Amino acid sequence: MGSLRNISAIAGKELRSYFASPVAWVMMGLFAVIFGYFYTVYLTFFVRESMQSQFGGGGPVNINARMIRPLLSNASVLILFILPMVTMRTYSEEKRSGTIELLLTSPLKDIEIVLGKFLGAVGLYAALLAVTMLYMAILFWYGDPDWRPVVAGYLGLLLLGSCFLAMGLFISSLTKNQMVAGAATFVVFLLFWIINWFADSVGPMAASVLNYLSITQHFDDFGKGIIDTKHLIFYLSFISFGLFLTVKSVDSERWRG
Amino acid sequence: MIEVQHLTKRYGPVTAVDDVSFRVEKGEILGFLGPNGAGKTTTMRVITGYMPASEGSVIVAGYNVFTHPIEAKRRIGYLPETPPLYPDMTVREYLTFVARIKLDGKTSKADRAMRVDHAMKKTHVDDMASRHCSKLSKGYRQRVGLAQALLHDPEVLILDEPTAGLDPKQIMETRDLIRSLAGNHTIVLSTHILPEVAQTCQRVVIINKGRVVAVDTPENLTHQLKGAAALYVQISAPEDATPVLLDIPGARKVTVSDRHQDFVGYEIEAEERRDIRLDVARTVVDRGWGLLELRPMRMSLEEIFLQLTTEEQPQEAQHG
Repeated sequence: MGSLRNISAIAGKELRSYFASPVAWVMMGLFAVIFGYFYTVYLTFFVRESMQSQFGGGGPVNINARMIRPLLSNASVLILFILPMVTMRTYSEEKRSGTIELLLTSPLKDIEIVLGKFLGAVGLYAALLAVTMLYMAILFWYGDPDWRPVVAGYLGLLLLGSCFLAMGLFISSLTKNQMVAGAATFVVFLLFWIINWFADSVGPMAASVLNYLSITQHFDDFGKGIIDTKHLIFYLSFISFGLFLTVKSVDSERWRG
Repeated sequence: MIEVQHLTKRYGPVTAVDDVSFRVEKGEILGFLGPNGAGKTTTMRVITGYMPASEGSVIVAGYNVFTHPIEAKRRIGYLPETPPLYPDMTVREYLTFVARIKLDGKTSKADRAMRVDHAMKKTHVDDMASRHCSKLSKGYRQRVGLAQALLHDPEVLILDEPTAGLDPKQIMETRDLIRSLAGNHTIVLSTHILPEVAQTCQRVVIINKGRVVAVDTPENLTHQLKGAAALYVQISAPEDATPVLLDIPGARKVTVSDRHQDFVGYEIEAEERRDIRLDVARTVVDRGWGLLELRPMRMSLEEIFLQLTTEEQPQEAQHG
């Protein structure tokens, strides 16, 4: 597979370069602000709803179902916009500046470089998610939500985002131009996002395929607090496939020169 | 130490390197000379394992670069045309990163730090250790690139135009550094600056349009075409010295090359492998003329280079 030491060297270098440039900080800030906006909107909504329910004589409103789940599903939309910014420079920038020559002439395997870059990007993404956990902590401080769906939801977000990152890494490996990489990545993400919209207009066989490929369909269960192996397998194979394509692309790039 | 055999590299329909073969012995400095676009960089990229060859093989330190890339790359230090620096890292951070990916797993952290320091001292970049790579001058960038190539103390160094963009003092320092590395390291350097080859390299490969046109020592190359067989003399004489010079045994042809008020310069072509310098001097002095200058005429590397790289063109034209 590759040496863990080499992978961590590359991953560390990636993380460092994210945080050395304003990109990571801008992204974190943006993510925190937008997530915070959704958070207050849902919180206001939730407070009003639970007050109405109390006066109406109904039971307490479930904070997991009424607030955390929709919030996390909103976060999953957010990452659709934000993650292309993470991966668009990974390979494009190395090609443009020529540092790819250093990596490809060092005693490293392609897979080590690809995995290192992937894990670096996942690290940054995890930091983004960690910021939102502060908001969640407030809910746990003042309320008593069930922690299991929250953990499952975050696991789902991490996997969903990692799929995007793997795909984005592949697209970045195809071009020297980071703008092209960013735009193409966004389009492809979007395609996987809405692929099940077409399910209604095709036959039942094709519909089930499209539904299966839809990256969001698999997320729903995580939001509900269910960790189903079939979704885990879907995400993990999606990630492996993306990384496999990246390795192949880097290799074929060598042949074309 | 390096063996390139029948190396061919094609980019689609374009053949960048065409059947190139040469050997570099251990401890030697080989100059790789050619006009821009001759295939120097491509050849070096194949040797370093950056890209595979379309045909042919490259063996570095006993390892085939295509079948055993990791082993071969461990033994190669490579300075590409543009030094591969990460702009957001400081020089020390950068070299530490390079040490992590180039040295094998058993190297301790202290050992890595020591090698980074050593490489920085050797290339005189230690005073910039905590400067960001993006803020370095061209000369420093080049030298940090060199430090990167030297860091893991490789047996083979491949340097693509190592002195490009340096000022004259830095060029001298870099050449001295490269010369000092020979012996322990086998070095291939590419350049289109000809004096550089004469000063630093023990052997030269001249490449043009992807083909090797000459392989020899710089001295042999300069002797090769006109060689010591031609002489230049400046004589101060009341009459034309041509017939007298022609009488000298071994002189085949005499031409006046430059006329001045008090003296005339002559070019004398001698027969193959015949040293007529002594005879020329004696003849001139015996006549009571003034001998102002006498020297063997050699083609400069520039001339050889131009001759070798332009001779190809008529042939190409015929093909086309």
